[in-house]
Amino acid sequence: MLWIQRLRLRFRTLFFRKHAIQELNDEVQFHLEELIAENVAAGMSQEEARHSAMRSFGNATILSEEARETWGWITLEQIGKDVRYGFRALRNNPLFTAVAVLTLAIGIGANAAMFSLLDQVVLRPLPVRDPERVVIVRETGNHYGNSYGPNTISWPMFEDLRDNNQVFSGMFCRFPATVTISEGDRAAQISAELVSGSYFPILGVGAALGRTIAPDDDAVPDSGPVVVLSYSFWRSYFDGDRSIVGRTINLNGYAMTVIGIAQPGFDGVELGRPAKVFVPIMMKTEMTPHSDGLKDRRRRLSWVTAYGRLKPDVSLKQAQLSLQPLMHSILEMEAQQPEFTRSTTPSDRESFLRNRVELLPGSENALRSDMRKPLWLLVALTGAVLLLACANLANLLLARATAREREFAVRLALGAGRLRIVRQLLTESLLLSAAGAFVGLALAFLTVRVLLRIYLPADAAAEFVVSPIPDGRVLAFVVGAMLLTSFIFGLSPALRGSRTEITLSLKDKSGAASEGGILLRRMLVGIQVALSLLLLVGAGLFVRTLRNLDSLGPGFPTDHLLTFRVDPSLNGYSDEQTKSFYQRLNVNLQGMPGVSSVGFSTMPLLKGYAWQNAIVGKDFEGAPIEEQPVLNHVGPGYFATLGVPIVAGRDFTTQDLGPSNWRHDTYAVINESFARKYFPGRDPIGQRFGLVNDMEPVNPEDIEVIGLIPDKKYRDLRETPPAQAYFPYFEDAHFRFMNVYLRTQADPRQFENELRERMRQFDPHVPLVGLQTMNEQIGFSLRRERLVASLSAVFGGLATLLAAIGLYGVMAYTVARRTREFGLRVAFGALQRDVIWLVMRDVLILVAAGLALGVPLAFALSTLVRSQLFGLGPHDTLTLVFSTLTLALVACLAGLIPAIKASRADPLQSIRSE
Amino acid sequence: MGKPNDLVQGTLDLLILKTISLEPKHGWAIAKRIQQISGEVLQVQQGSLYPALHRLEQKAWIKAKWADTETGRKAKFYSLTAAGRAQLEKEAANWSRLSVAINLVMETI
Repeated sequence: MLWIQRLRLRFRTLFFRKHAIQELNDEVQFHLEELIAENVAAGMSQEEARHSAMRSFGNATILSEEARETWGWITLEQIGKDVRYGFRALRNNPLFTAVAVLTLAIGIGANAAMFSLLDQVVLRPLPVRDPERVVIVRETGNHYGNSYGPNTISWPMFEDLRDNNQVFSGMFCRFPATVTISEGDRAAQISAELVSGSYFPILGVGAALGRTIAPDDDAVPDSGPVVVLSYSFWRSYFDGDRSIVGRTINLNGYAMTVIGIAQPGFDGVELGRPAKVFVPIMMKTEMTPHSDGLKDRRRRLSWVTAYGRLKPDVSLKQAQLSLQPLMHSILEMEAQQPEFTRSTTPSDRESFLRNRVELLPGSENALRSDMRKPLWLLVALTGAVLLLACANLANLLLARATAREREFAVRLALGAGRLRIVRQLLTESLLLSAAGAFVGLALAFLTVRVLLRIYLPADAAAEFVVSPIPDGRVLAFVVGAMLLTSFIFGLSPALRGSRTEITLSLKDKSGAASEGGILLRRMLVGIQVALSLLLLVGAGLFVRTLRNLDSLGPGFPTDHLLTFRVDPSLNGYSDEQTKSFYQRLNVNLQGMPGVSSVGFSTMPLLKGYAWQNAIVGKDFEGAPIEEQPVLNHVGPGYFATLGVPIVAGRDFTTQDLGPSNWRHDTYAVINESFARKYFPGRDPIGQRFGLVNDMEPVNPEDIEVIGLIPDKKYRDLRETPPAQAYFPYFEDAHFRFMNVYLRTQADPRQFENELRERMRQFDPHVPLVGLQTMNEQIGFSLRRERLVASLSAVFGGLATLLAAIGLYGVMAYTVARRTREFGLRVAFGALQRDVIWLVMRDVLILVAAGLALGVPLAFALSTLVRSQLFGLGPHDTLTLVFSTLTLALVACLAGLIPAIKASRADPLQSIRSE
Repeated sequence: MGKPNDLVQGTLDLLILKTISLEPKHGWAIAKRIQQISGEVLQVQQGSLYPALHRLEQKAWIKAKWADTETGRKAKFYSLTAAGRAQLEKEAANWSRLSVAINLVMETI
């Protein structure tokens, strides 16, 4: 085969190139010698023969090159030379190379990291078939009832929408729950997704093994004890054991048959809360004991998140419009129901009937809506860093190209083609960009991992499927921007230089050909200063926001406080068993060495949750949700454990416990806000009130206030303490989970392991969840603010550094060009400080111009982040002044170095050097 | 300055192939042989010869081997491959047709 032979020859000239070139040289040499021999035979002297042969032979190098060209690798050969030369050029100037690569790495790394975070937390669609056609169906406005969250509706409403809409090819719903999985002595709490039978078919998610939940599994309440495992959970918890399909596992003490493993990469529809198991929603009662939304026909409990898949020819807008009449008729019907009318006023009814259907992208969830603004903000900041990095790179390349004008002139004079020089520059830019991209991506990879660990919920971060490789689009964009910058600014001076007279550059007139370059470079530095100011102001605002929040405190001492959560009802424990569990646990923990007191509460502190209910009294009525007090069930010792004093009356005692119900002499401890609001000017102790409740209202005389505590925070650090009322927890027959607080005598962290062991011995089947110190919990609740503050501080620092480098570069260059002038000035008697001032005046003009651009810009843009700030306005004077001063100081320091250098100029030397 | 004795590329290839069709020759000998046979009319420049030889070699029409010359020196000898022989026949035929055609035109008009 001819082509095989040809291929073999091509490869020989590629891989045995040295050998081939040597042969070529030998061949040409032989020819030359034969020529000489012929000349000698014709009677010439050896010397003459040689010269004559050389003359007729011509340029042996060109001959050799032309012969090599027929080998077909000439372009590759030249590229190889360019690369080698490029490496040498970069190595010869390590400072330039290091700064350029670092600049590139910062630009690429910061953007790649932030964008992958944004992409994976906020932008990514659901991992299902045609994810853009899947929408969440929610009801806007006040629902007038109990709600599990803003995107939930009641089960009957879901059924109505599902059965009567014209716009969806199908609807499904889900409810996130936490269940206990147990076998033998191994027990764990895991996140489960309770799903309707249409969930898997409509999403188009299949099974990796076995089958998924089908409509038949989800037909009748309490039927369908089947479970589908998520792929990652199957791999981690069951080691990928294929025989698990068909076996039964225990969920909340119920035997459930594993029917399949979901397809890899599918962890449910809520990002940040990966579901480990999927259970038919008809098993709601079993999976969430004591809360039976499924059989609750009252429509006032909204708990399921409803999803629909849009029909192919229906747009989201059309669907939303055409669902409104259906929603309205459902609301009309609900507004007639006694459960609604009992606890609402006519004006409530008016506003209720104005509620509408809203369709959201199916990927929407709490984490997303929480992180969307901060992450976009950070991406905008990294965009500014990218601009700065580009400006800095442009500056560096301009300086370098100017410095190399002589080199290019020499190469042109020696016969190098212009194209070849341009190619050389492009190769160097490519080498720089490649190195920068490599370092930057490594940086991004590490940063993303660290950031996710720090700033996502601990259990989510551990499971968060984060691709270490940043999104291809952003990578292309960032690297492209960098390449473009390096091409434009690396080439333009070279082209300009190559147009100028070679002789001019070759003469010892440094910088003769580059008068235009310096103005561009000064402008770039001005822009850099302005951008850095922007980033510094941002950093200042966010760091001060975090400090404001950090210093707020919840209103009680948080040191030496340990907290965790248990839920024995998830083990199938009956009410009586659960009650006994808590009583024994209370005694057990109080006996733990190093623990000074123990407190239980049903609602967690400072976690954003609240139990709110309208109350009634002799002279006050129910109120809308915003004005309702927050309530909690607590055990004796709760206030003592938190370090909250009883300022009047008394704390609960064990005598207050014991089975009782709301209707008879329930005791309450209230806070000062509650007292001020409902019993103004009266001694609150002994006052009475009741609860508004559509099922079993508590009469205004039923609850008696026995104690008063000072105001403290309940939901989160940002709030002003709301009106609060506490009831002894045994009053409520339906308690399930309990938050336990332990006040320790020393560093609470040293008790963690002991506590785990103690709990295991106490009841191995009830897992202990979320064990952490109160300070850790508070720190975690500020993670969003901490993310923004720390990253914007890092970006601000980087920006300042880049601007300083840029300024230093320009000033150093200016000083070098004016050496002769400074030398003359010194020779004519100028003092050192005069020369320094001369340079510094220039620096100040540059910085002032940058700041003049930056301050109004910062002023305008900071209003955009108003909602992300706490305890200060977007035009915080202190931040602005401090940022301006910091930047001015750093810039002046950067300018001072060349200034001092200039002042040390030896007059004789500098005059001679020209 | 024109180069009257320069050969058009295709023609040089043909001459080279023909020259080595009987026995292997090195570059110097090929140039000499063409010069001799043509009665010193055709001067093969080194600058054309070696690129042409390497091009033909890359096309696998000729193959090269290092061997001793009569004077005992090492030189690179080129010889025809089977593909080269076929190519020679094709190009020779082409050439005959072309020269007959040109002659016809020259004689008739």
